[in-house]
Amino acid sequence: MNGLKKEIKMGREAILESIKKNKPELLTVPEIKKEIFAEDINVKEVFKDNIVLVGGRIKEINIETIDAEIKESYAKAKRIVSTSSKTTLGTVSVSKDTDPHTLEDIDLAIVEGELGVSENGAIWVTADTSIVRALPFITNDLVIILDKEKICLHMLEAYDIISNRDRNFGVFISGPSKTADIEQCLVVGAHGAMSLTVFLV
Amino acid sequence: MKHSEKAEIFNKDEAKVNWHDKALWYVREKRDNSAHKVQGWEYLRELGSGIKANVLSNLDEYLIQFESNAKKNGIHVHWASNAEEHNEIVNSILVKHDAKKVVKSKSMLTEECHLNPYLEKKGIEVIDTDLGERIVQLAKEPPSHIVLPAIHKTKEEVDVLFQEHLGTKPSQGNPEYLVSEARKHLRNKFLKADVAITGVNFAVADTGGVVVCTNEGNADMGVHLAKAHIACMGIEKIIPQEKHLGVFLRLLARSATGQPITTYSSHFNKAEEGKEMHIIIVDNGRTEQLSREDFRASLHCIRCGACMNTCPIYRRSGGHSYDYTIPGPIGSILSPGKDLKKHSSLPFASTLCGSCSNVCPVKINIHEQLYKWRQVIVKEEKQPVIKKAVLKTAGVVLSKPGLYDFAGKSARFALKNFPKFMIYNKLNAWGKARDLPEVKNDNFDEWFKKRNKDG
Repeated sequence: MNGLKKEIKMGREAILESIKKNKPELLTVPEIKKEIFAEDINVKEVFKDNIVLVGGRIKEINIETIDAEIKESYAKAKRIVSTSSKTTLGTVSVSKDTDPHTLEDIDLAIVEGELGVSENGAIWVTADTSIVRALPFITNDLVIILDKEKICLHMLEAYDIISNRDRNFGVFISGPSKTADIEQCLVVGAHGAMSLTVFLV
Repeated sequence: MKHSEKAEIFNKDEAKVNWHDKALWYVREKRDNSAHKVQGWEYLRELGSGIKANVLSNLDEYLIQFESNAKKNGIHVHWASNAEEHNEIVNSILVKHDAKKVVKSKSMLTEECHLNPYLEKKGIEVIDTDLGERIVQLAKEPPSHIVLPAIHKTKEEVDVLFQEHLGTKPSQGNPEYLVSEARKHLRNKFLKADVAITGVNFAVADTGGVVVCTNEGNADMGVHLAKAHIACMGIEKIIPQEKHLGVFLRLLARSATGQPITTYSSHFNKAEEGKEMHIIIVDNGRTEQLSREDFRASLHCIRCGACMNTCPIYRRSGGHSYDYTIPGPIGSILSPGKDLKKHSSLPFASTLCGSCSNVCPVKINIHEQLYKWRQVIVKEEKQPVIKKAVLKTAGVVLSKPGLYDFAGKSARFALKNFPKFMIYNKLNAWGKARDLPEVKNDNFDEWFKKRNKDG
């Protein structure tokens, strides 16, 4: 182990030395002119279309009816984890200490999204809102609740907003888990959630 | 073996070649549709290229900044000069955690370092969890494409493979059934894994975090269930600031599969409480490529695979014919830098049509670099006697108009009147696998002179 450590250190110095010797003359970082990407579109409607394009479902609802709406969409779900205070449907409670392995047979997870991106139907979900990091992935089905005011045009705008966050773990989720690895046939439901429904409130 | 010889093996199954060609062209078309929907797409490509050029010109500083920020967040950072060091570091982490079972998310770098066989020899179970990667792992083959690792396999072949290894029922290649069985099989592996290994799509200097993109969610299933996460990255994966992800995440999936973004773009900045996160920064020949002025822009590559999907040679020769971790046009400019002798035929596996450069999201001048490698290789590598003789003759003929005219006339005469065996033989590469044109008319020169006289 000691020998290895020494080699690792040599690796670092050797790599940095080699870069210094071989790198080209300094070029500046290009400035991003966001106005070139400006578009006069209804970001909410385009966002909705893109959620469907990436294989998800989306419903714009009144916050009072959210429990009924989720029940209607996932009538068979019994083991439900909700980390959102907007619904009372949770049947399994979780905390930061929950072993993610115990969530293996969760039917439905309900989490809140922090912001949506119109251009690709992606929603920013963080460890703070999902509590257990594995939750949005290990669950059979996933519901994300998103404030309809929190949809931005494109990814560059999205990063302006999330750049102030406390960084631990965050993920852009765009649709349910999917694969096209068998003869290019698109199959929804690989390892992560088999379905995604977004409720805009 | 040369690329053309390996391609010949792939070409034996004509129906499969046609299918392979069409499947990849379909992905290329999806890329076009997706790109055309983005306001300012060409500007986005310019930004991508410009940011990457800045990265290469300041790479050491960015790596130091990245390391310092990652460490502040409690991430262990390691450096590896080559594949051996990389594999040893991975092993030392596994030993520390007494890990016997490892789940791996797709990473071309660990493929390049031959990590799997190295760990397997030490008695560690390594499971590739991307479905395409799992398929080729079961088939004991390397991936044939960097985004679509099992694109060379039909669904019927996958069916047979799963019956043999996962005990599935014959389904005539029903993709839904096969995916659902793979889900069960891999879920079990995720739940039992000790350590998860992932690649890195982007490493951000100003935050010290890494971003991993998947459609299946396999990176996350692995990382969030295991005790430790090892992320392996090439030095060129660094980008200056987090806001630049806004450029690269817009380019990556659209160029790769035509999707507006991958299903999951996961940002790992800190380990979960009670767990560990390690990042291994790997050189393995990259600083050498940085030293080659003509070829350093190949380090801009964000591994979308668009150049493969559009390449007329790749589509008809299959990824395995390149015999290198990264196949296709980009692989053909990366590989001679690693081993000029072994990969000397790859820069010739191109029509130089420029389609690869046209679709590249970070504007790498791929076809120009292929042309440059050819010039290096012709000087440094022994060329076949026939090729040399033919080119020398062509040089003489092309420099003398009279001789050129005579040669043209002779060729046309030969094509019209000579028996087949004299036209189609080993000396004539142009007659291989294709018919030469029927000679009906005069040559251009004769036609032009006649036209002017008549007109």
